[in-house]
Amino acid sequence: MCRSSWRRGESYQSETKGFQKKRQASWLSDTKAIVTEFVNMRLVGSPLRQLFFQFRAHGLPVEMQIALPFKSSKPLALRERYLKIAPLSTESPIVTTVAELSATPIRTQARQQKPTFRIRPTTGWAALNVRELWKYRDLLWILVERDTKLLYKQTALGVAWVVMQPLIAAIIFTVVFGRVARLPSDGAPYLLFVFCGLTVWTYFSQALQHAGNSLVRNAQLVSKVYFPKLLLPLAQTLRGVVDFTVTLVVLLVLMAIYRVPPTFRLAVLPVFLFFMTLTATGVALWFSALSVKYRDCTHALQYFIQVWMYASPVVYPISMIPEQWRPLFALNPAVGFIEGFRWAVLGHSVLNPNLLCITIVMSLVALFSGAFFFRRAERGFADII
Amino acid sequence: MSDVAIAVKNLSKSFKIAHQRDGLPGYRTLRDDLIGLPQRMLARWKRNGQLTSETFWALKDVSFEVKKGEVVGIIGRNGTGKSTLLKILSRITEPTSGGADIYGRVGALLEVGTGFHPELTGRENIFMNGAILGMKRVEIRRKFTEIVAFAGIDKFLDTPVKRYSTGMYVRLAFAVAAHLDPEILLVDEVLAVGDTEFQQKCLGKMRDVSAAGRTVIFISHSMEVVSRLCPRAIWLHEGQLISDGPSDAVIAKYSDAGDRSAIQT
Repeated sequence: MCRSSWRRGESYQSETKGFQKKRQASWLSDTKAIVTEFVNMRLVGSPLRQLFFQFRAHGLPVEMQIALPFKSSKPLALRERYLKIAPLSTESPIVTTVAELSATPIRTQARQQKPTFRIRPTTGWAALNVRELWKYRDLLWILVERDTKLLYKQTALGVAWVVMQPLIAAIIFTVVFGRVARLPSDGAPYLLFVFCGLTVWTYFSQALQHAGNSLVRNAQLVSKVYFPKLLLPLAQTLRGVVDFTVTLVVLLVLMAIYRVPPTFRLAVLPVFLFFMTLTATGVALWFSALSVKYRDCTHALQYFIQVWMYASPVVYPISMIPEQWRPLFALNPAVGFIEGFRWAVLGHSVLNPNLLCITIVMSLVALFSGAFFFRRAERGFADII
Repeated sequence: MSDVAIAVKNLSKSFKIAHQRDGLPGYRTLRDDLIGLPQRMLARWKRNGQLTSETFWALKDVSFEVKKGEVVGIIGRNGTGKSTLLKILSRITEPTSGGADIYGRVGALLEVGTGFHPELTGRENIFMNGAILGMKRVEIRRKFTEIVAFAGIDKFLDTPVKRYSTGMYVRLAFAVAAHLDPEILLVDEVLAVGDTEFQQKCLGKMRDVSAAGRTVIFISHSMEVVSRLCPRAIWLHEGQLISDGPSDAVIAKYSDAGDRSAIQT
């Protein structure tokens, strides 16, 4: 549509009631101002029509004619000399061309004129603005670095805590669920079985906990500095990957102890890890954005994590779930990751591709819904945090 | 036209302030919101319009333009929207209506040391703070020695900043911000802390910044600093622009009004 308005010989006419004699005198200067402004704005779309509406908005009666020798997609500056503008009501129409209006190359001027950003009130959904996130990638890494350093500063055991957390939990679960409750483990040693689940789960719970509270804990930053706030929870979920890798090493050691031979399946782990990060980020975005307005979320989060853990096959195998319920069960993305993990490490269970598909879809749903919700809530953060 | 750095048009910002009298606390909980939801929907349906909260206009219909290379001081009493204005210009909050066009990269220093973390060392914090203010890692590395020299804390570079004195803290924070190299620098009252010598250093730095053709908008309660540093001043009162012009004239009006209201009360 926009191209079509550039057809050869196309013209527009405008006659507005508000046209007064005194305006006639300043007609040319007004025209120059409007055209210059227009050209500098580098409007794309259908330039002639837009220019015409600009005139009408200013109440200037005008006839515009465009005589282009060919259809061109180059900016207006190149075709300026073909644009003829004349007032309707004068006897001898003043014919002016845009080229006359500016001696300096309009294109460089246009670049300067365009605001770096426009500050306007916005409503509704906002775009994700991935480009800006990319621009701030340095900050993201520094945040990841900072939080990694901070987490275990002034602790005696330091990084050992990364290993201790899932290991202690695994031992407790082995005693309670493996020995006392005698939950099945698909034939694998229960400790190894539960540790597999816990590797995934520890990542989830840590990432959620830290990312969910990240905005509130950095309230000072949120209300005093401009940057994409999405980086704060994102840095936390990425930071969790570091811990996760350390836990993986422990898992390999446990595999060696239990004499479970590693297979080529381990190569799939990065794929699981990738989608796991997406899921955790998505859910964390929901929680972090909500907790700015409702501090309840910080308290609710830990119970949410606990309930979610028991709703995921961490301490029990998925084979305990009746066959017909499994697709429903798989709506919980953690199911796919934990089962996939066990499949890769233990090699006992069979991986159901359908369940895996549900998991991937769910993780994308979590990520995008979280990201859009976050962007929508983001503009109010500084005011209400 | 092309030499405009900031064009503010009819900028307004309102906040909703809840009042204790209706029995609701100032903060919100999810429970309260959920329970109150039917009630509020009913109220909206009835078109009562009389909500429990009051709208407070922090800024009302403020318009002005700042040219490239200008240094503008913003004066006014506490709570008249000066900081809100800078927050909007630095994109931290959004206006309620109206808008502003910004031509150039903005560096804002609304509070000294916002990006600082007490547990991290001075060195780590320089990188941290620089990145938060929008610098690239390479940029910070390039200016690192300069920043440290400006702050004068090279001895304590590897000490966590929680062990710093307030003065050292401010020095370091300002040093980072001063080396930000933005085209437009927004500075809230931050120099109140720090000794005279350092204040002079900061003012000198800000003068350098403006001499390099950069735009500075500067909030201060010190009329002396404003008249020395800024040729132009803007006086805000209760969210409205009262006066805009050569700083000496604006300051005279401002202190005149201050005297009068002091006599009245």
